[in-house]
Amino acid sequence: MADAKPKPPILEVERLTKYFGGLAAVKDVSFEVREGQIFGFIGPNGAGKTTLFSIIAGALKPSSGKVRSRGRDITALKPFQLVQAGIARTHQIVRPFREMTVLENVKLASHFGRKNVTSDSAAEEHAMQILTWFGMETFAQKSASILSVGLQKRLEITRAMATEPDLLLCDEICGGLTHVETAAMLDWLRRIRDRGTTVMYVEHDVKAITAVCDRILVLNYGRKLSEGAPDHIQQDPAVIEAYLGHPPGRRQEG
Amino acid sequence: MSTSPAPLPIRLLAQWRTFAPSWMILAGLAVMPLLLSSPNFIRLLFVTLLWITTSVAWNLLGGFAGQISFGFAVFYGIGAYTTALSMNAGVNPFIAFLVSAITAAAASLLVGLPTFRLRGPYFAIATIGISEAVRVVMTNLSFTGGASGYRIVEHRAFRQLDHYYTALVLASIAVAFSVFISRTRFGLGLNAIRQDEDAAAGLGVNPYAYKLGAHALAAALTGMVGGVFSRYAAFIHPQGVFGFQTSVHILLMPVIGGIATIWGPVLGGVVFGIVEEQIIASFPEIHLFIYGSMLILIILVEPGGILGAFRKLLRRIHGRR
Repeated sequence: MADAKPKPPILEVERLTKYFGGLAAVKDVSFEVREGQIFGFIGPNGAGKTTLFSIIAGALKPSSGKVRSRGRDITALKPFQLVQAGIARTHQIVRPFREMTVLENVKLASHFGRKNVTSDSAAEEHAMQILTWFGMETFAQKSASILSVGLQKRLEITRAMATEPDLLLCDEICGGLTHVETAAMLDWLRRIRDRGTTVMYVEHDVKAITAVCDRILVLNYGRKLSEGAPDHIQQDPAVIEAYLGHPPGRRQEG
Repeated sequence: MSTSPAPLPIRLLAQWRTFAPSWMILAGLAVMPLLLSSPNFIRLLFVTLLWITTSVAWNLLGGFAGQISFGFAVFYGIGAYTTALSMNAGVNPFIAFLVSAITAAAASLLVGLPTFRLRGPYFAIATIGISEAVRVVMTNLSFTGGASGYRIVEHRAFRQLDHYYTALVLASIAVAFSVFISRTRFGLGLNAIRQDEDAAAGLGVNPYAYKLGAHALAAALTGMVGGVFSRYAAFIHPQGVFGFQTSVHILLMPVIGGIATIWGPVLGGVVFGIVEEQIIASFPEIHLFIYGSMLILIILVEPGGILGAFRKLLRRIHGRR
């Protein structure tokens, strides 16, 4: 217990830049995600959210800059290596294995996730536990292709969580959901955080982000515009201007 | 669920009911040539067993992992030539088959390392290119006789049944392999790669390594078939074993029978073994055209092949489950 040094952050992004041709989609963005947070990033269309997310998730190589997790450089890691490093992701457009059952979908993640469960029965047991935790156990034997969009999104998260990540990257998980479903989904994010997994969350919907996040990064034109707690962000004149245009004073209710 | 799991071979034995039909077929095939000893019939069975093996092998990569290769003639040909060269150097034929398996698997890595960076149709096209390049090289390679072919000299009497049982054992190994893989973590990973490579990678599957693995296993089996064939034929030439039609045959069978299943490729091999010679004999000029048309027809009408059509029929009879 004599460890006085603070733990390095679970995610550390340092001066990340990505050019597409001559255009900088992300320029010089740096931030840190601390363990136990729900960290969100928002921004108007074309702000570079998806590019930034894809780089962190290992789907895209940055032009320059570094991504670290607990002090380890993970910039060049491929998605399957990130899973082993304790970082899992969900996709904006759900990608269940449609020819498999719900259980098989999750079992795959148990098998290949960080726990690397080799025995079939142990993987099944692990998958059932996670499914039950997410209230999906009644769908275990159903084909993944017949689930509703809301359930498919929940399967997407369940499956990612079955890899036992320390950090979960969520890409617009509330897109296409009703208000009730969105509220439920945000609750799941809180429960995931409380269970010990840090969450990084990208969302279009400002209300959803401010409702659930402990800390928010605002992007605009590929640059960091503001960063802080939701209250701070909502009152930042630069953010208000980016979203609403110059003369401030009108409030947006959605 | 929490009882300690028995090792896989014991669990497979415990499921003997599932496999009873397979054991019966195997027993039938083992005694068949003793009852019907017409050499031509045994030859037909032998060739069919070889086709079944390549079909099952191709399905490991093309079916389970969903990577459509038009280049399996490379492994068939390399296997054939490796066995031929080894046997002429005095190596025991069964050792030669193993050498063929290893050589073909090594070749599969050379083919796979660059081509598995490509996806879907680009991978398929690349395999055509490599296959044709290898055929051209072999046609001009002098120490194997180039285009005029290569003769295998075996210093013992020809016994057809030796060849037949070799093919039967090889086909059984291939099917057992296919069953085994489909039930392991490796098979689950391949299955996920077929359905959505990126989603699989996002859950910890290494698609590149898994594809290379499936490719190597498939190539090893195909190489052994090439070896067994060359020993039987005693003469091989690049246009035959490395020919594009060999690749097409190997791909056509699993597609006919039903891709990504255990028994589809076997069924496809049986059908193909029976009709192939009739088609070549009856339509020597246009047999490749017939295969091409069959391929298009199956993909358009019933991508699940014979097995897929059969399952649909069963479902219609029994109603939806």
